Amino acid sequence: MATTDSSEVAVQPELNRRQATSLVFDSLTAAIPGLHAETLDERQELYGDVGLDSLGFVRLLIELESKLGIQLMDDELMTVELVTVADLVDLVERISPPAA
Amino acid sequence: MVAMARDPLLPTHWFNILHDRPQYVSSAISRSRLAGAVKPAGHSVQLQQPLSLARQSLNTTDRLIPIPDEILDLYAQYRPTPLRRAVHLEERLGANAHIYYKYEGANLAGSHKLNTALAQAYYYSRAGVKRIVTGTGAGQWGTALAYACQVMNLDCTVFWVRSTLRQKPVRGEMMRLFGAEVHESPSDLTEVGRRALKEDPAATGTMAMATGEALAFAAEDRQSRFAVGSGENSVLLHQTVIGQEAVSQLALLGEFPDCVIACMGAGSNFGGIALPLLGAAEDSGRSIRLVAVESTACPKLTRGRYLYDLSDALGTTPITKVYSLGSTYVPPPVYAGGLRHHSAGPLASAMHADGSMEAMAIDQLTSFRAGMLFCETEGILPAPESAHAVAGMIDVVSRHPRQAAPLVVLVNISGHGLLDIAAYRSFAAGEIEPVSEDEASLSRSLSALEEFNQSIAELA
Repeated sequence: MATTDSSEVAVQPELNRRQATSLVFDSLTAAIPGLHAETLDERQELYGDVGLDSLGFVRLLIELESKLGIQLMDDELMTVELVTVADLVDLVERISPPAA
Repeated sequence: MVAMARDPLLPTHWFNILHDRPQYVSSAISRSRLAGAVKPAGHSVQLQQPLSLARQSLNTTDRLIPIPDEILDLYAQYRPTPLRRAVHLEERLGANAHIYYKYEGANLAGSHKLNTALAQAYYYSRAGVKRIVTGTGAGQWGTALAYACQVMNLDCTVFWVRSTLRQKPVRGEMMRLFGAEVHESPSDLTEVGRRALKEDPAATGTMAMATGEALAFAAEDRQSRFAVGSGENSVLLHQTVIGQEAVSQLALLGEFPDCVIACMGAGSNFGGIALPLLGAAEDSGRSIRLVAVESTACPKLTRGRYLYDLSDALGTTPITKVYSLGSTYVPPPVYAGGLRHHSAGPLASAMHADGSMEAMAIDQLTSFRAGMLFCETEGILPAPESAHAVAGMIDVVSRHPRQAAPLVVLVNISGHGLLDIAAYRSFAAGEIEPVSEDEASLSRSLSALEEFNQSIAELA
């Protein structure tokens, strides 16, 4: 799904669930002004509860690219449909580069 | 496949003004965070456009963004486009000016819209999308996208503003020739269209409505996506091949413009020619005057408010800060359908707000007069939209003092008017009247716009 970007300063190693969740919470708070990580929960719905729309999703993906040191590919992302925060954590686990 | 030979003047990169002016990245407001927003349970979040295009709209890092080879090969079929000095027009006007024009009408689609249509179709195709759905005003964008989709083997559906479709049925046939489905908007194919027709069966349609219908139609099919022909930063970026070529072509003639003039719908042809010139002027320490010419029927820059607004009737797209007459404003039908959008795009609006460009409004009678004069003197019949730019240019040139050094002006002829013969015939027959804004509709729409912004302020 993703290629590593050699121009990035640091490439994150493959993430465990806890790390992926933490990364998602950080990225959501960066992408959505006024959102606080301590109010987030994996069961929450991204649109209805968190307030993530398509534009916020774009900003979040770009944030994730930067944090993971990867470049996401158009073709596989276009079919991704996420409902809950847990879905997003699953996605981050899939796109994070394998450990060296 | 053997690649088309590329002219050395064909730019290999798009010029990204967001690198020089990151403040132009718009601060959009998410609709889901507005008070009273409907948030249905189980609603999924997905990308509406390929991430590559979204990255382009937000990129403040790279001044030059490489154009993919596949797109360059397609650009090479019709670019670089001609840049000419309008010597006969200069003589006719008795102008103390060197008038240069860039002509974007000499491609199959007949306008600058092909520059972004090919790029967008390329990115959507690469992302696995099967159908692109869009709304079009004058029909130039719809024609360009229909052709680009055919090139990229994509299906294409076009919702076209009713009043314009009926003015230019041949253009609709052209879109169909390229394989597109073309629907009059408002239509009975979408809920928002049906609602509009119920309220007013004779509704002339607006760009906001056509866009809203396209969004609604695309949302019903997972393999379809909506694409837009102007306003978005990425669209303006794709159009910068125009201005970059002009910089190189003028340099070969030892010239640099004092003033750049283009018509203003939502900002793509204006941005396409003006942004690289602005960059080149700043690089060389020159000053440059940028003039956007809008229609008096839809004077968003000269009479609009710089506020947060919706860009479509469905209210689906992000809410951005733009010069707007309000998304419910219904401009009177004019032949320059491409200038009927109620708002300028965020980037053009930001440029107007910080004084980087000027705006003037021209009525359609004056624009047709200018278009015919351009045709008589330069042998090119400009599209009604482009004729507004010509009229604006004539106004600028006529005010230039005779005792001063000649004014060097560059005007963008964004498209040809060969499918607007009926309109020019009406002009020749004396049947064209000046058209101003609809004051009643404008007053209602501006009030609604201000109330909407009040509600946003209360939320904050």
